[in-house]
Amino acid sequence: MMELLQFSLCFLAFNCFALAKFNHFRDVFKKKLTEKQRYRFLTIGWITILLSLGLSVMSEGGYGALLFCGYMALSVLMLMILYSFTVSWVKHISAINVSVLVLSGLSVMIF
Amino acid sequence: MKENFFRSMTWLHTWVGLLVCWLLFLIFFAGTLSFFKDEISFWAKPEIHQIRHQDHRVASQAKQINDVFADLQQKAPNSLSWRINMPDSRNPVLSYGYAEPKQPGQRRAPFNYTHIDPNTLEPVPEPRDTKGGGFFYRLHFDLHYIDVFTARILVCLASMFMLVALVTGVVIHKRIFKDMFSFRRNKGSRSWLDAHNVSSVLALPFHIMITYTGIITLIFMLFPYPAETVYEEGLSQMFNEALPVNKRAAPTDEHRPMVAINQVLDQIYTKYPNADISHVFVRNANTASSQIVVYLATAKEVVDNGPRYLFNGVTGQIDAQSGEDWSASAQFYDSMTALHSGRLAEPLLRWLYFLCGVAGCAMIATGCMMWAKRLRERMKPEQSAHRGLKLVETLNLATLMGLPFATCAFFIANRLLPIELAARADKEVLAFFLAWLFIAVLALFGRTQSHWRLAAWLNAVACFSIPLINAFTTEGNWISYLLTQQWALFGIDSAFICAGLMFIVQSRKIPSHDNVKEKGNLFKNRQLKEQQG
Amino acid sequence: MHSQSLQAGQAKEPRGAKKRSQSLSYRVAVFFRFVAAILGGYVFTSVFISLLAVLLPLNKLDSVLLTTTLSVFFYCCVFIWVFAVKSLKVVWITILLTTSLQLFVLALIKGWL
Repeated sequence: MMELLQFSLCFLAFNCFALAKFNHFRDVFKKKLTEKQRYRFLTIGWITILLSLGLSVMSEGGYGALLFCGYMALSVLMLMILYSFTVSWVKHISAINVSVLVLSGLSVMIF
Repeated sequence: MKENFFRSMTWLHTWVGLLVCWLLFLIFFAGTLSFFKDEISFWAKPEIHQIRHQDHRVASQAKQINDVFADLQQKAPNSLSWRINMPDSRNPVLSYGYAEPKQPGQRRAPFNYTHIDPNTLEPVPEPRDTKGGGFFYRLHFDLHYIDVFTARILVCLASMFMLVALVTGVVIHKRIFKDMFSFRRNKGSRSWLDAHNVSSVLALPFHIMITYTGIITLIFMLFPYPAETVYEEGLSQMFNEALPVNKRAAPTDEHRPMVAINQVLDQIYTKYPNADISHVFVRNANTASSQIVVYLATAKEVVDNGPRYLFNGVTGQIDAQSGEDWSASAQFYDSMTALHSGRLAEPLLRWLYFLCGVAGCAMIATGCMMWAKRLRERMKPEQSAHRGLKLVETLNLATLMGLPFATCAFFIANRLLPIELAARADKEVLAFFLAWLFIAVLALFGRTQSHWRLAAWLNAVACFSIPLINAFTTEGNWISYLLTQQWALFGIDSAFICAGLMFIVQSRKIPSHDNVKEKGNLFKNRQLKEQQG
Repeated sequence: MHSQSLQAGQAKEPRGAKKRSQSLSYRVAVFFRFVAAILGGYVFTSVFISLLAVLLPLNKLDSVLLTTTLSVFFYCCVFIWVFAVKSLKVVWITILLTTSLQLFVLALIKGWL
C-alpha cells in the first residue's frame, strides 16, 4: 500500500505539471488556462512530488530514493502516452488517480 | 570547436552518440536483460521448474548447511575449495560443490557441483547445459568472441562516450521539461526527436546513474594509478586491505580436522539472530590452514557486499570481517556497484529498473535512427545516398532488429537443441550469433521500409513462438504458470508476448517510404513559412 | 513551442558549415581533438587523481577509493572541455603543461627523481 501511495502521489504531481502547460490544458478542458490556475497546478505538483520523495526516503532510505526514480520514469511514460494518444481519458484517469491516492493514504494511516 | 559553446556541444552530442551507438545498444540491451539474470537462468533449466520455494527459508538454513558439510566431508575431504550457494528468493535450488585437483594445462580447477532441492534435500536431476542469464550478463561487459581485456576497454570507452553524450544532451536541450509530455506523431524525423527526448528525459537520473556506475564497476582496470601510487605493492595490496576476508591462506599438507560447522554458525547467529546466509566457502579443507567464509545477504540496504566473516577453519575463531563499519568513501564506492548491478532490487524495483533500461535502449535506438532519417529528409529526390549514410542505415537495421531476434533464437535454441549435445551451452550462443548474422545479411541487401517491416514480422513470429515452443517442450505453459504462481516463468513468457505485440504494432506503423518523406518535408516547409512570416 | 524545438533540432547539424569544412585539414583537426579528448583526458585524469590520492588527508584506502570513484567525473569534464575550447593548440598546450606539472609534483613527493 505504501508503494501505491508513493506512486500515485508521484503520478499526480506529473499530471499537475502537464496540466500547467497551456497546450495540454487546452487539449483536456477545451478552454484557456488562466495564470492563477497554472500557479495552483504547479504548487500542487511540487507539494505532491516532494511528499512522494519524502515518503519513499523515510520508509526505505536509499532504496526508497531508487524506487522514487523508478516511479518518476513510469509516471512520465504513462502521462506521455496518455496526453499524446488518448487525451480524452485524462479526466477519468486523473479521477482514478486521486481516488487511489486517497484510498491508499487511508489504508496506510489505518494499518 | 564550433563558433560557440552551444554549437560545439550539439556537434559533440551527435558524433559521440553516433560513433558508438550500436555498441551501446548491445550493452544496454544485454544489461537490461541481465536485471533478470537469475530468472532467465531458471527459465532455461526446465528440469528444476517443479522445485518450490521453501516456506521457512532462513530458518532451515542451519540444518541444510550441516547436511551439505557432512556430504562434502565424505566426497572431497581434501579439496582446496568448497562452495555452498544457498537458495534465495530468486533461485530455489541449493547448489554446492568442490574443486577437483587441477590438471596440468588448466587455468582453473574444474568444479564439481551437486544441485539439491532444499525442501527434501534430494538431488535434483542434472539440469541441461546452458549459460542462461549468465550469457547476457557476460555479453554486457565482456562481449563475446574477443579477448576479455580488449572487450572491457571497448565497453569502458563506449560508456565514457555515453556519459559525454548524456551531459551534452542535457546542455543542448534547453527546454527539457517544456516538451516532456509531448509526442508528435507522423512527423518524420521530428517524431524520432520527440521519442528520443521522451525516452531520455523520463529516465534521465537512471541513465546518468547506470552509465557512471557502470564505468565504476570496471574502474580499477581503467584507473589503477591512484592505488599503484599510494600502495607499494599496488592493487592487490589495496584489495587485501579493503576486503581482508578474501585473503587466502597458503595451502599446506598438514592435516588437521576442521571445527564443527555449528560452532561457526552459532557465532553468526549470536551477532545476527535472523541471519540470511547466502554463501559458505571453505578453503584448504581439513588442513592446518583451512578457512571458512560466511556471506550474509544484503537485505534492502544499498550495498553490494553484505557482511562477510572469515573463520579460522581449525579453531573456529573470527579472523577477519568486512562489510561492516565501512568508512564513508568505501561505502560510497560500494553503493555505486550496488546501484549498477541492482542485485538488491525486489520485484517492484527490479521491474522499474527494467523499464528504465528499456527506455535507455529506446533512447539509443531513436538517436541512431534520427541521424539517418534527418539526412534522408534533406536529400533531394535525384540525390543518391553516400556511403556513410548507407553504412549507418545498415548498422541500424542489423543491430536494432537483429539483437531482439538473436535473443529469441537463444531462448528457442535452449528448448529445441537436444539435451545430450556436446558443448550444448556454446551451441546456444552460436544460435544467438547466427540469428544476428541472418538479420545483418538481410540488412546488407536493403534498408527500405519493407525490409524493416520484414524484420519486424520475423521478430514478432520469433517472440510468439517462444511461449508456444516452451509449452510443447516442457510440462508447464503460460497459463499453468499463472495458476501455480510461478511468477518468474510467467513473467518471461509474458514479456515475450508483449514484445511480439509491440513488433506487430511496429510492422503496421511503418509507413511506405515516400509517404514519410513527403510528410516530413511538408511539415518542414510549413515550419519555415511560419518562421519567415 | 514547435518552432522553438525545431530551431534546436536544426542547430544540431549546421549544414552549410559542414559542407565547407569537409576538407582534409578539418578531418585531421577532428581526429586530433578526439585523440586529445580520449588519450589526453585519460593521461590527465590518471595523473590528477594519483596526485590527489597522495595529497588527500585521508587514510590510504579511503583516498584511493574516493579519487578512483571520482575519476570518471574528471575524465568526463576534460572530455567535454576539449571540445568546448575553440583552438586545438590551446587544448594540447593546456593538457601537456598541467599534466607534466602535476607529474613533476607527484614525482617530488614520492621521491622518484
